[in-house]
Amino acid sequence: MTNPNDKENKDDTHNGKVGVYICHCGGNISDHVDVDKVRDAAEDLSCVKVARTNMFMCSDPGQNMIIEDLENGEVDRVVVASCAPSLHETTFRSAVERAGANPFVYEHANIREQVSWVHHGDPATDKASTLVAAAAAKAENLEPLHPVRVDAFRHATVIGAGIAGMKTAVDIARQGIDVALVEKTTQPGGRLNTLHTLAPDGEKAGDVVDAFYEEIQNSERITVYPNTQVNDVKGYVGNFTLTLATDGENGRADTTVDTGAIVMATGSQSYTPFNGEYAYGEHPQVITLPELIQTLAENSGDENTLTVNGKKIRNMVMIHCVGSRRIPGIHETKEDANLNEYCSRTCCSAVLHAGNFIRETFPGTSIFDMYRDIRTYGRGQEELYNRAAENRVVFMRFEADAPPRVESSDTGNFPLSVTVSDGLTFNEEMTVPADLVVLATGVEPTDISGIAGMLKLPRGNDGFLNEVHPKLRPVELPVTGVFLAGTCQAPMDSSEACNTAGAAAAKVSALLGKGYIELDPFVAHVDEEKCTGTGACVDACLVDDALELVETEVAGQTVKKARVTAALCQGCGACVAVCPENAIEVNGWTLKQYEAMVDAIAAA
Amino acid sequence: MILDTDFADEMKQYSGDTALECFNCGTCAALCPLFHDNFPRRMIRYVQVGAKERILENANELWRCLHCGLCTHTCPREADPGEIILGLKQMVVETRRRS
Ligand SMILES: Cc1cc2nc3c(=O)[nH]c(=O)nc-3n(C[C@H](O)[C@H](O)[C@H](O)COP(=O)(O)OP(=O)(O)OC[C@H]3O[C@@H](n4cnc5c(N)ncnc54)[C@H](O)[C@@H]3O)c2cc1C
Ligand code: SF4
Ligand code: SF4
Repeated sequence: MTNPNDKENKDDTHNGKVGVYICHCGGNISDHVDVDKVRDAAEDLSCVKVARTNMFMCSDPGQNMIIEDLENGEVDRVVVASCAPSLHETTFRSAVERAGANPFVYEHANIREQVSWVHHGDPATDKASTLVAAAAAKAENLEPLHPVRVDAFRHATVIGAGIAGMKTAVDIARQGIDVALVEKTTQPGGRLNTLHTLAPDGEKAGDVVDAFYEEIQNSERITVYPNTQVNDVKGYVGNFTLTLATDGENGRADTTVDTGAIVMATGSQSYTPFNGEYAYGEHPQVITLPELIQTLAENSGDENTLTVNGKKIRNMVMIHCVGSRRIPGIHETKEDANLNEYCSRTCCSAVLHAGNFIRETFPGTSIFDMYRDIRTYGRGQEELYNRAAENRVVFMRFEADAPPRVESSDTGNFPLSVTVSDGLTFNEEMTVPADLVVLATGVEPTDISGIAGMLKLPRGNDGFLNEVHPKLRPVELPVTGVFLAGTCQAPMDSSEACNTAGAAAAKVSALLGKGYIELDPFVAHVDEEKCTGTGACVDACLVDDALELVETEVAGQTVKKARVTAALCQGCGACVAVCPENAIEVNGWTLKQYEAMVDAIAAA
Repeated sequence: MILDTDFADEMKQYSGDTALECFNCGTCAALCPLFHDNFPRRMIRYVQVGAKERILENANELWRCLHCGLCTHTCPREADPGEIILGLKQMVVETRRRS
């Protein structure tokens, strides 16, 4: 691990020559902020050597202005005043780096989201000038920093061997990285092991599982750990140590695995209706969609009519949205259970897919499909709905607050009746006699409180894992080096699960490919001369193991000094606030830099 | 009302079972010159779900039909609503004669 504040940096310390570059953002900024005035104000600052404006600083000509000034030695510190740093801070840092300078001698002033989008007229221009002055004052005091470099194991661990986990493992292994594939049940495959053919194109679920499993078995890089769960996690990105607990004939055996990254692929489970929900558990001919799918795999297509539980099914009713899309105040659930307000997304397609199979294989079985909305989203899925209509599935629509009533009956020798106020028949109440009722149960996240707790992974109210950002970082978890794939994130079908798996594998491969990882240098740094070993910082630190007191020898005496593990430090600064000696600082955000900013704001 | 799941089959002898093609778009009712209470869509729907009882209760409506053929002409699913209305008349006569 290299220290971001090595000697070479210290020598570099001098008063900076700051260049300020102010963006019009094509009018987004300049319609409300007088950018020329902001430039004039910046030019008056003693630390500023040049101040320029451009229509789009992020464009090539904009970036080239910065590069030229750096290369000519006109400036050696850079401030860009433009949009939010989340958008273009890295753009400008890399421009600085392309000019041969250290990318961390750069400071960003946000004069769009924080100024032109919320203020107008002179106050906007004044505030922009103030923010630029503060950024320039900080920039003058910036020192070159170097990314924290940590060695990384070229090894990843995938937790859960459903289709998402298998695909992730295979894709990572193809990049020459070793993989441990940890599965808590006896075999890989997950939910797909229980499915018959897959919507929308009818491929056999077993064939898909076999294709992945064959590659896994033939790969020298993938080790499968069946009957195994992760019992303990230590370390940080690139350097995790996992304890795997495997249940075997002779009890439990522990294995230790050193790994560089972790992919959560723990999947989801099918919702189980509570006793009495649509007569489930009270009547043997009320079954769930997964139970129907199992019987489809067992039924022989030689018959004219589907048989379930030994009974010929002349007419069946399928009810959508069971355990999904629940509305607070309207729906109830088991005590302590989640209300499941989300759409489970795969049940509409899976129900219609099963319905089509039944109508096409067993024409003697007719089907009534009771839905709230048909959500056969995605490529090739709407066709399932059209095909169901062609197959003469009769659709009926119910409202959330008026679900169908399933009751025992003896109407025309049918054991069940389902009564619904049908929106497609002008809300008239109708009773459908049935031999079978199938509940399109949704999905719920697998209970992963153990591993999620160990890794401190955030989950939404619905229990699914939360990615960092749904668009910018869709398969990353906020713990660096931990990713997600498949339905542990949200309900999705198997193709979508594979998409996220491919993305997670690409992220892992890029992270571990080089054998080392570079992290942002904005971490705490201890000035050993000032540190008196009070340990106040260690108490204040929010991250386990990021900060510790270690004994060292100073002038023949054993003393305690604080030490930072840079890879774990989040750079939050909690330690800085409590140190009585000002002996700990966060790189890139030092007290001296803050003071310069405050002085500049006060002077403005 | 309890639906008769064999009703569509029963209708085959009068007008075929094309009512099962209907996807409830309402084009037929929008074009029908009678402008009466979703006629003929409501009747087609009753056949589709097996609401024979409702058809017998509202049988008089069937005799309002002018047999202009507009509905059959425009039905996007070729459910042949005009022909079904004719078949329903036959079904009603047959059922009344028998009882
Ligand atoms: C009834 C139903 C029908 C469906 N029909 C279709 C369809 O026709 N077409 C389609 O594309 N999709 C369909 N789907 C969706 C499809 O099943 C999922 O998209 C797919 O299974 C998701 O895969 P996964 O790997 O994310 O999760 P899963 O298949 O749930 O796999 C997760 C794996 O992780 C393991 N695991 C969990 N926790 C741990 C732990 N702590 N440690 C170790 N291992 C763990 C589990 O044992 C499991 O093997 C259907 C879903 C349901 C419920
Ligand atoms: S996919 Fe369809 S059945 Fe499933 S919850 Fe969503 S709307 Fe309901
Ligand atoms: S036009 Fe055809 S499909 Fe549309 S409601 Fe009438 S019969 Fe049904």
